[in-house]
Amino acid sequence: MTDFDACAARALDTASARGAAYADIRFEEDRSERIEVRNGAVATLSDGTSAGYGIRALFDGAWGFAASADTSDAGIDRAAARAVEIARAGAAIATHRFGQAPTDRYVDTYATPFERDASSVPLGERVALLLDAERALHAAPTIRVGRAWIDLWHTRKTFYSTTGSRIEQTLRQSGSGMMALAASEGDAQDRSYPGDIGLYQAGGWEIVEAARLRENAQRIGEEASALLTAPQCPSGEFDVILGGSQVSLQIHESCGHAAELDRIMGWEANFSGTSFLDPALLGTLRYGSDLVTIVIDNTMPGGFATVGYDDEGAKSGQSDIIRDGMLVGFEMSRDTARTLGRETNACVRAQSWEHVPMIRMCNLNLLPGDAPFEALFDGVKDGIYMESNRSWSIDDHRLNFQFGCQIGWEIKNGKRGRMVKNPTYAGVTPQFWNSCDAIADERSWVAWGTPNCGKGEPMQTGRTAQAASPARFRNVRVGVGYDG
Amino acid sequence: MDSIAREALAERVLSFARGGEAEVLVSDGDFGLTRFTHNAIHQNVASADTAVRVRTIVDGRTGVAGTNALDETSLRDVVERARAMGALAPPDDEAPGLVANANTAAPAGAFDEATANASPAERARIVADITRLAEERGLWAAGYVTSERSGITIANSAGTRVSYDGTSCGLNVKANGPDSTGFAEFYSTRFEDLDGIAAGTIAVEKTLASKAPVAVDPGEWTVVLEPAAFGELLSYLTDHFSAQAYDEGSSFLSDGLDRAYAGDTVTISDDYAHPLFAGQPFDYEGYPTRRLHLLDRGVAHELLTDSAWAKRLHRTNTGHGLPAPSAHGPAARHVVVSGGTHSTSDLVAQVKRGLLVTRFWYIRPVDHRKTIVTGMTRDGTFLIENGEIVGGVRNMRFNQSILEALGAATFSKEVARTGGYSYSSVVPTARIENFRFSSGTDF
Repeated sequence: MTDFDACAARALDTASARGAAYADIRFEEDRSERIEVRNGAVATLSDGTSAGYGIRALFDGAWGFAASADTSDAGIDRAAARAVEIARAGAAIATHRFGQAPTDRYVDTYATPFERDASSVPLGERVALLLDAERALHAAPTIRVGRAWIDLWHTRKTFYSTTGSRIEQTLRQSGSGMMALAASEGDAQDRSYPGDIGLYQAGGWEIVEAARLRENAQRIGEEASALLTAPQCPSGEFDVILGGSQVSLQIHESCGHAAELDRIMGWEANFSGTSFLDPALLGTLRYGSDLVTIVIDNTMPGGFATVGYDDEGAKSGQSDIIRDGMLVGFEMSRDTARTLGRETNACVRAQSWEHVPMIRMCNLNLLPGDAPFEALFDGVKDGIYMESNRSWSIDDHRLNFQFGCQIGWEIKNGKRGRMVKNPTYAGVTPQFWNSCDAIADERSWVAWGTPNCGKGEPMQTGRTAQAASPARFRNVRVGVGYDG
Repeated sequence: MDSIAREALAERVLSFARGGEAEVLVSDGDFGLTRFTHNAIHQNVASADTAVRVRTIVDGRTGVAGTNALDETSLRDVVERARAMGALAPPDDEAPGLVANANTAAPAGAFDEATANASPAERARIVADITRLAEERGLWAAGYVTSERSGITIANSAGTRVSYDGTSCGLNVKANGPDSTGFAEFYSTRFEDLDGIAAGTIAVEKTLASKAPVAVDPGEWTVVLEPAAFGELLSYLTDHFSAQAYDEGSSFLSDGLDRAYAGDTVTISDDYAHPLFAGQPFDYEGYPTRRLHLLDRGVAHELLTDSAWAKRLHRTNTGHGLPAPSAHGPAARHVVVSGGTHSTSDLVAQVKRGLLVTRFWYIRPVDHRKTIVTGMTRDGTFLIENGEIVGGVRNMRFNQSILEALGAATFSKEVARTGGYSYSSVVPTARIENFRFSSGTDF
């Protein structure tokens, strides 16, 4: 059993002795389990563990980061020295300084609340759930592939800093989903559930049960098959109602990434891009209609990104990004927040022990409206209702987007009509959010988790969440990509 | 950890397995990356790790477990966890056994000692070369310089013992001006090949040449796609060549093999031995990877298989397996598009009115089966008139069938390695007719 206190003390002493103005070390042990069933057979049954630590060192305003799994004295010394060496290499050619030593000190523990420990559920029971659901997906002869999966993560991390912080966290995240692929001559259509990638939240086995895979599998299979013969979604300008998981994706791509302050400052310019947002727009940009309020809440129960502290040792909290349609905040780290004269809102995460912490979208929620979901259809004379993402693309300033969904239905005079396939829509971020004129109430509000958000170099996969309910948007360009 | 140490570790883990079949995959790497923006380093990282993955097959039941703890207890435990997972899995009578393979030699140039030992200071010097160029022209640069050593060993109870050691390095740079940007990239197996000045110069010149970009109308355009743009577009085609995609009906190849799907100028291969890759010569089951044509002058004859899909479709194993069992099926890892007969400058010179595209961004499938994708231009899009580049244009969104684009494509003689983390390919510059843009931007 590794003595983290002793290892941390050694690492921080070594970094300081080599000149670091500040250092922190994050020990992390990640356990991930995945079960995936494909066409009646278990395609994946894996149980992986990975443990190690990452050390950040600050030298003359430049950061260095080194990660290792070697917890011997020599290994700790080597990694700490390497972190400082890297920071010095950066400082040697620096024309300006990005980093400043933090002063916060926290000594605390945090554990994800859960109802049932997923690891206590017999593996046979987990596999049986997936086999049952996957079997039911084959609701028609045109179903060529059924897939169902469960992901479980259990993470223990302990953070120490030269300011005296010691933060121990035990995190649990769970998710499950399923997908049916129907194919016929020249066409293939897929349907997945819940949402487009499954239901992913912080918690235990209760998250898997909440997905209700068995109960929905046959319908999903039938819908996939029906899409093969459904008419093409029309092209033109329509009112659009988006299902909750698609609104979640819309928040993720056109608000969440746009409001990352490191991206705004050009730190992601060469890869994931910059942003149309600018600190000068705080308090002046009407991002959306009055109905649109989007908040960070990294303390919410069930939020996929809920933690006690972020990966630079800052305490989780709540803050506004868009309030009543106006841009009021960004997702920030300590260094980036300082440039605005603000305090961090603890949005720093690393994929694992071997990844450097960086600003990540965390729990970013569109607050629910006050209309029942069914009422969104009222007043739509000619529109399209779309569910479950199939395609997503947005420019490197986060303005021009085009998304596609798996399934749609025409709306005629307030009523949901016939099914249509290949629905797509496109727009420009602020104009689109300003066209939002109805958001469904809390009864259809779901904390949709995203387990595969990519950002950074080396690329890191982040776990984010965007709680949302279905919403209505007026005069949207529909059918792009199929309109000739 | 060198191949001898990895093989000893793999043998040790294999010895803990009792009964049934067992496979051990040991991966080891040391990675460094220096990232810069606004002409200064803002992220500078290094990580090292050795991981062990164990697959057991007992009575047709497969289990997989992994760890990076290398002590005796943890290594015994990982074998037991794999067996425990497998014990509760339903048996799969169709699952193939483990493959038997002697070692397969790595291509020449796969490993370079200097690259394996490249230091943060060496990476910083290349960054300094780039940022100095940008500063001199009143621009700011963002990008990265990376160097990596990686090794893999696969051993199994059927007798397979294979190892590969490789190095890789790369840089990319985006130069930024008030209203324009420019991009360049370079990848190699040898750190000494990285030329920050050359890449920085290209990015800076593109930025300056595309300043004050003008808007052009969406619609059908003749485009000249530089390797970064063409390689990313092509990366959304390669999973169609998987036997799994073919069988499940999600591939365009599901319409049948031995048919022409692209013009006769188009030959796409999977070739780990291409000098710009010098890649791993076996797959993640330890089976030798076959160098093959995915499209041979436009015609598809082959499917990529692994042991499971070879057995299921009664085809030969081409050695394109991912760590088994894989829900994703076999995959191409070293895509090469054969060069044509024109020089890159000729491709531009022969365009009466068209667009030169440096790079695409955020390409995603719109209709997978029909190979329709959407995406954006970025970091250097230029108007061509009468064979000359006349200035920058604002970025645009496209919706385009990749196969249709390949129906009448003309390629440069020169090829380059492109791509970052999600794909890597060797491609020429491509000229494509009637490429469909659907909307524009204000930048």
